[in-house]
Amino acid sequence: MTKYVVRRVAQAIPVLFGVTIITYLILALAPGGPESRFANNPRITNEVRERFLKAWGLDQPWPVQYCRWMGFCNPDVENPVVSDAPILDHVPNPAALLGPSGWPNFLPEPISGSSNGVLHGDFGFSVQSGQYVSNMIARAALPTFILAAFALVIWIGIAVLMGVYAAIHRYSFFDQAATVFAYVGFAMPTFWLGIMLIFIFAGPGLNILPAGGMTNTRLSPPFGSEAYWAYFGREPVEAVLDIGKHLILPVFTLVVVNIAGDSRFVRASMLEALNQDYVRTAKAKGLPGRAVTFKHALRNAMLPVLTNIGLEIPFLFTGAIVTETIFSWPGIGNLTIDATRNFDYPVLMGVLLISSTVVVLANLLADVAYAFVDPRIKY
Amino acid sequence: MVQELNRAVAETTVADIDRRADEAGADYEVGLESLSQFQLAWRKFRRHRLALLGLGILGTLVTVAIVGPLLAPFEFNTIPRPDVTVYEGRGPSLTHPFGETGGLQRDVLHLVVNGARTSLFIGFSSMLIGVTIGTLVGSVAGYAGGFLDNLLMRIVDVMLSLPILFVILVAARFFGGGNVMTIVIIFGVFSWMGISRLVRSLFLSIREREFVEAARAVGVRDRRIIFRHILPNAFSPIVVSASLIVAGNIIGEAFVSFLGFGVSPTSPTWGNILSNALTFIPLGNWWWPFFPGFAIILTVLAVNFVGDGLRDAFDPRSRA
Repeated sequence: MTKYVVRRVAQAIPVLFGVTIITYLILALAPGGPESRFANNPRITNEVRERFLKAWGLDQPWPVQYCRWMGFCNPDVENPVVSDAPILDHVPNPAALLGPSGWPNFLPEPISGSSNGVLHGDFGFSVQSGQYVSNMIARAALPTFILAAFALVIWIGIAVLMGVYAAIHRYSFFDQAATVFAYVGFAMPTFWLGIMLIFIFAGPGLNILPAGGMTNTRLSPPFGSEAYWAYFGREPVEAVLDIGKHLILPVFTLVVVNIAGDSRFVRASMLEALNQDYVRTAKAKGLPGRAVTFKHALRNAMLPVLTNIGLEIPFLFTGAIVTETIFSWPGIGNLTIDATRNFDYPVLMGVLLISSTVVVLANLLADVAYAFVDPRIKY
Repeated sequence: MVQELNRAVAETTVADIDRRADEAGADYEVGLESLSQFQLAWRKFRRHRLALLGLGILGTLVTVAIVGPLLAPFEFNTIPRPDVTVYEGRGPSLTHPFGETGGLQRDVLHLVVNGARTSLFIGFSSMLIGVTIGTLVGSVAGYAGGFLDNLLMRIVDVMLSLPILFVILVAARFFGGGNVMTIVIIFGVFSWMGISRLVRSLFLSIREREFVEAARAVGVRDRRIIFRHILPNAFSPIVVSASLIVAGNIIGEAFVSFLGFGVSPTSPTWGNILSNALTFIPLGNWWWPFFPGFAIILTVLAVNFVGDGLRDAFDPRSRA
């Protein structure tokens, strides 16, 4: 088991490495860049533009930029590229691979003397706001986590109840209705459902719920700021209620869209379990139906459901991008959209790498949890 | 593609089956005549009511998408009353069954019909790109095995670990420029991974079968074995998951365009029609976002129904 986990973790490292290369390539090959926001500004002279590019290291070819971003190359070296040979134009200067202390730059800070680059836990600064990328992501992660956690708990709960009930009462009216609901929910674009909900509950008719945001900005400072936490300390009940009110619509949107697929999955899994020999045996022994359903069938039916949940968790964080945009929820999704709009490369790279890590970790956890819960699986 | 397939199947088989049924009464032995895989599949598909309904809806939508803009009294780029802009749109009425938008007073039905063209085109053609790449990668990996297989599958692992929606957004923003073809390619390039895994696993099992061994023994070249002997046997699962890709890409494109990173508003899609609508929601103009979204739901439902029907039809365990 330990061996298996270690092997899986070891496999995850090259995958994440590949993720950074692919995402960096997409950004590197794209026409334009962070400097394109100056394109229509007549007051930005070429000189200013070049100074900007140099300051952000964007004047270098992409392998050097990538090398610095990762932390393989030391950004303080004067000539990071071996430039006399045109073919080797893009190859980083070997001197740049060494940190200030003379040891390779990618080693931990005490040895290499450098703290730059992702390998040292440094994601750089946002081109747009100048803040630390890691701080921006950390600040956006909390709202996303709150939204995702509430949605996940509610939707899994409802999906399991619906799926099990539909499986036990197969082909009943409820089962048929749940099937129709699943089909429609599966076909419904999240953002469209969000818009329609905003119209119904926040539109001119009812107007009982806020249309977007996480807190009422008229009552409290923006979420995440120090002033907000001071306010939170003063008025905890009011603050929680305020967030709760803003949570209703986005959580409802996520729940409706995700229940559809999951309740079908639970139903199929439960039906399979109910058809097993051990269930027939339990019934033949004369056990009461309830005990058979909930002890024998349900527990076994939950195994694949568990794995499925593990695989869905990362999509909560990336899938919430849609919901967050509609409801202007100040989370990872909104951060990504803003960064995309402004060509904010460091933020984009940070978000993409971290969300890929979440995907890889969730896959790993799902596999390990499955191996842990199901004694039949051996490695 | 699904449709073409079905049409092809329909043309070649229905008449045959009817003729055979007639002759069966006269001559008992005709019953021994065997049906091809597609004939069997079509027979099962026809009994799947929802699948037929889905096929009907899809056919109607495609017809509307092709013919609709031709029948409309004015071009998409013509603004009916360019000199008047209004603060609020007008609700559905007899002359404008889907209502009118605020601002430039465009007819929503006209927008939706024009949007069908681009949205369906993007959904189906990006699926074709994805399926082609996926099938090629999967068959090479599954047939060749060894180092190549390992390399390709690791690339698939990496691509599957990416938060695809994020990446598509970024790519659409940086490369898209509002161009329909670029969006098609971006969606195609990011939707092949599932197919390639599927095709690889199918190849791994099929290549061990006797008929492949026989073909190899007679000296058939690798390329011919891949495309003529193995691929046709892997056809049905590919078609089924292709239908899922169509549905996913239509929704995905709508979202990307909704955010303003996708197709530019000069070529309407269901997504970018929605993008202006959000600001009119507080005014109560529900018809503007409602109808394009409804069109998306209808399309995705139809595609999923057809996909389900195909899965049952191709499944040898289900009975006709």
